[in-house]
Amino acid sequence: MNIVIVGIGKLGHKLAEMLATKDNNIKVVDVNQAALSRVVNRVDVLAIEGNGVQVQLLEDLDMKKTDLVVAVTDSDETNVLICLTAKSLGCARVAARVRNPEYANQIEFFKENLGVDFITNPEYDTALDVARYILRGYTAHMESFASGKVGLFDVPVQALPHLAGQKLQDVDVFGQILVAAVYRDGQVIVPSGATELQEQDTLYLIGRRETVTSFTKELAFLGERHTTRRVMILGGGRAGFYLAQRLLASGLIVKIIEQSEERCNYLAASLKGVLVICGDGTDLELLQDENLAEMDALVSLTGNDEENLMLALLGKQQGVPKVIAKVSRSNFVPIIEQLGIDRAVNPVLISAGEIVRFVQGGQIASLSLMFGGQAEALEIVVREDAPIIGKKLSEAQIPKGLIIGAIVRKGQVLIPDGSSMIESQDRVIAFCLHSEISSLDRLFYPKQRGWLHELWNGGKGPRKSPSN
Amino acid sequence: MNFGMVARVLGNLLLIEAAFLSIPLGISVYYQERGAILGFLLAMGIMGLIGLFLAIVKSKSSRLKAREAILIVTLGWTLTSFFAALPFVLSGSVPNLADAFFEATSSLTTTGSTVIPDVESLPKGVLFWRSFAHWLGGMGILVLTLAILPSLGVGGLQIFKAESPGPSPDKFTPRIVATTKILYTIYLALTIVQSLVFRWSGLSLFDSLVLAFGTVSTGGLAVYNDSLMRYGSNNFLVYAVAIGMIMSGVNFSLYYDLWQRRFKQVTVNSEFRLYLAILLVAVVLVSIGLYGKVYESLGETIKQSLFQVSSIMTTTGYTTADYDRWPSFSKGVLFLLMFVGGSAGSTAGGVKVIRLLVAAKVVRREIAKTLHPQAMTPIIINGRVASSEVVQGVTSFYLLYLAVFVIGSLLISLEGLDPFSSMSAVAATLGNIGPGFGNVGPTATFAMFSPFSKLLLSFLMLVGRLELFTLLVILTPSFWRE
Repeated sequence: MNIVIVGIGKLGHKLAEMLATKDNNIKVVDVNQAALSRVVNRVDVLAIEGNGVQVQLLEDLDMKKTDLVVAVTDSDETNVLICLTAKSLGCARVAARVRNPEYANQIEFFKENLGVDFITNPEYDTALDVARYILRGYTAHMESFASGKVGLFDVPVQALPHLAGQKLQDVDVFGQILVAAVYRDGQVIVPSGATELQEQDTLYLIGRRETVTSFTKELAFLGERHTTRRVMILGGGRAGFYLAQRLLASGLIVKIIEQSEERCNYLAASLKGVLVICGDGTDLELLQDENLAEMDALVSLTGNDEENLMLALLGKQQGVPKVIAKVSRSNFVPIIEQLGIDRAVNPVLISAGEIVRFVQGGQIASLSLMFGGQAEALEIVVREDAPIIGKKLSEAQIPKGLIIGAIVRKGQVLIPDGSSMIESQDRVIAFCLHSEISSLDRLFYPKQRGWLHELWNGGKGPRKSPSN
Repeated sequence: MNFGMVARVLGNLLLIEAAFLSIPLGISVYYQERGAILGFLLAMGIMGLIGLFLAIVKSKSSRLKAREAILIVTLGWTLTSFFAALPFVLSGSVPNLADAFFEATSSLTTTGSTVIPDVESLPKGVLFWRSFAHWLGGMGILVLTLAILPSLGVGGLQIFKAESPGPSPDKFTPRIVATTKILYTIYLALTIVQSLVFRWSGLSLFDSLVLAFGTVSTGGLAVYNDSLMRYGSNNFLVYAVAIGMIMSGVNFSLYYDLWQRRFKQVTVNSEFRLYLAILLVAVVLVSIGLYGKVYESLGETIKQSLFQVSSIMTTTGYTTADYDRWPSFSKGVLFLLMFVGGSAGSTAGGVKVIRLLVAAKVVRREIAKTLHPQAMTPIIINGRVASSEVVQGVTSFYLLYLAVFVIGSLLISLEGLDPFSSMSAVAATLGNIGPGFGNVGPTATFAMFSPFSKLLLSFLMLVGRLELFTLLVILTPSFWRE
């Protein structure tokens, strides 16, 4: 794939790194020579010095042969402008970073009316990630696919005690939800109708997002009631704003501590129901006055890594069950999580992941390794030449270890049965045992074209190593 | 230091070299040269075994940092030169190891100096190997290895940077492997076209092949004792070889631009323009010295002068005339050309025109600054501001080149030759040119040097081929400190 990345900041650099490992031709554009030489020294990409907004430069890059332009410069407006220009010059797909909250509710407009195919907002994505983590336990653990249209989540059979001992084919509570896997005694079982459920099993369910959400809402009262109710957010920046909004919608009690008075006014005005405290988040007495120890979760999202780290540790020390810190340097994430902080989030990494997932449209976006690598949940965009097209699923010789959990066609989610057929450009959410990964290749990719072809193309098939 | 990976790459390199040896082996089988066949087979066996042994070394990661890449490139060139010498020794054609190493290094680094007074007596297979090694070394044998074996899993970026000639090697496609393939396609196409042209001008198939290898790689080892002097009257061939050499001294990415129909990129390229300008001026200057004194007719003067100028400037080293007997003005111009070289990104060696261009602009800037000390005068190359690192790199390259040249000349003068011969011997090997002047002139060989000097000159060839820093950094203690 020919990809042009405009803007080599942290996100641009990370993207170049993540995409260059695949079979992609990447050109990076920036005005900053130092940033370019840094990326060229580390990643196999072509650096072009210049301003990506210029039509001449984009024309020189041959937009007609470019599959994707990712605009991740500092400025939202520049990014959108680059996308518009690239698109009108014939680029197939464009993606932009837009992070100003003022534009947040017109993202859909950008996508539909301006033709920007994908928009990432690092702060928003970070907030979503944190919210997902905080809400875990409150609802079931959920992974979402196809931009949130499809959900995969786990439920212990204990939460549905009446199911134990029944065969799957006799159970009708799931409706439009598919049981993708059963986890029993450290083993993953891909179930059939005859599989009998046992009390210790954990079920992995795939379904349309709304169905799944309503199902899990009921579950919340069945399952354990250990819930997160009170959340304190330190730093009311963009991510804090989105997070508060999100948690508020889930009915949590949210408190934001923010230093700037102006910002506090804005937050208090736009987030009805959130307690906005104007003060220094590093002031221990203030935190104690605000009942830090009583909180169920503490999220520190200030602009300063060290502060976030220290505050999160402080929260842990005060006995807050869940502490989350934002770090701006992606390589620090694992170290910080080792320090006892429950979760370190890095907007760059999250955003880069979102973009890579979008970019790999035609390839497999390996989303989550489950059960210590025994299985994977994958989202595949079906290529035109995939052998599985035009066959009924029941006749497509799908091995036992592979379950087609959902098909997303033109934005509609279908839960497939034996008579369903897959069409090109469908997004397929599949659940697959690791031992069956190779059969994915057989079903979704055309045959390899011999060693000469491989020699000339650098020996990289669409999916050489299953996971790294 | 990731020694496991270094060993694996080197092992694969040797295996590939052994595989390439089968081509001269085939030639020897065709000409039924018993000794040479045995020599090639033995050499292939030894290389194969050692290569296999190194290639199966386990390494923890396949990551190569700049340090490993430099070590791979330096060791790779030294090892391939050493093993390329094996067929010479084992076939009995060049029994002395120092001689064989010199000859092999001269082949691989596309220098073209020889220590064999009577090359015509060598078996055809060995002759072919000398020229074929030119071809392998011309474009960079390690980059070739990486392009052939992507499964090695090495990014290759650092290796490409360490092996490619020029101050900042241009990668004109996003992926290094793709760039390498394009470069090799151009290289192969040039080779095929040239051998067809040479064949058409009346040479035998064997002669046209080895001549094409030597021309396109700017090597210059000939299969006859008098280099190309016997073809001096074949005007078509002389001009064909001259144009072939000039084409090989051009940055290969310009051919890609031509292919992509970006003609403007080619015509505005400052290095290309300066390259042609220097060539033209040198031809005129050399002709002024020759006309009426050595050659009576203007046509003959221009032909000989063009051939010799392009041969020396592109660091090839073929000769159609004994230029050592030319007037000293013409000789002086040729000697100066030894310090110019071809373009960056070509197969030519030497200092490279682009560095000359940058250096000239630096000098001009300094002169302008004496008048206007506050003036901002960026160095602009091809419409872009050259970064201060590039400028500094070029200046220090020049200084280091000069230092190596001076020290080398001093050491070689221990042999007791006249200063011009010693200096030209060093300039010709350091610049990967081939023949020098006087005792190492076009009709002479390097055979009279002591083994020590031969090894020193071989070392200089490698230093020149790898553009000083890559090889010399290995000799610094801090390279080995973790």
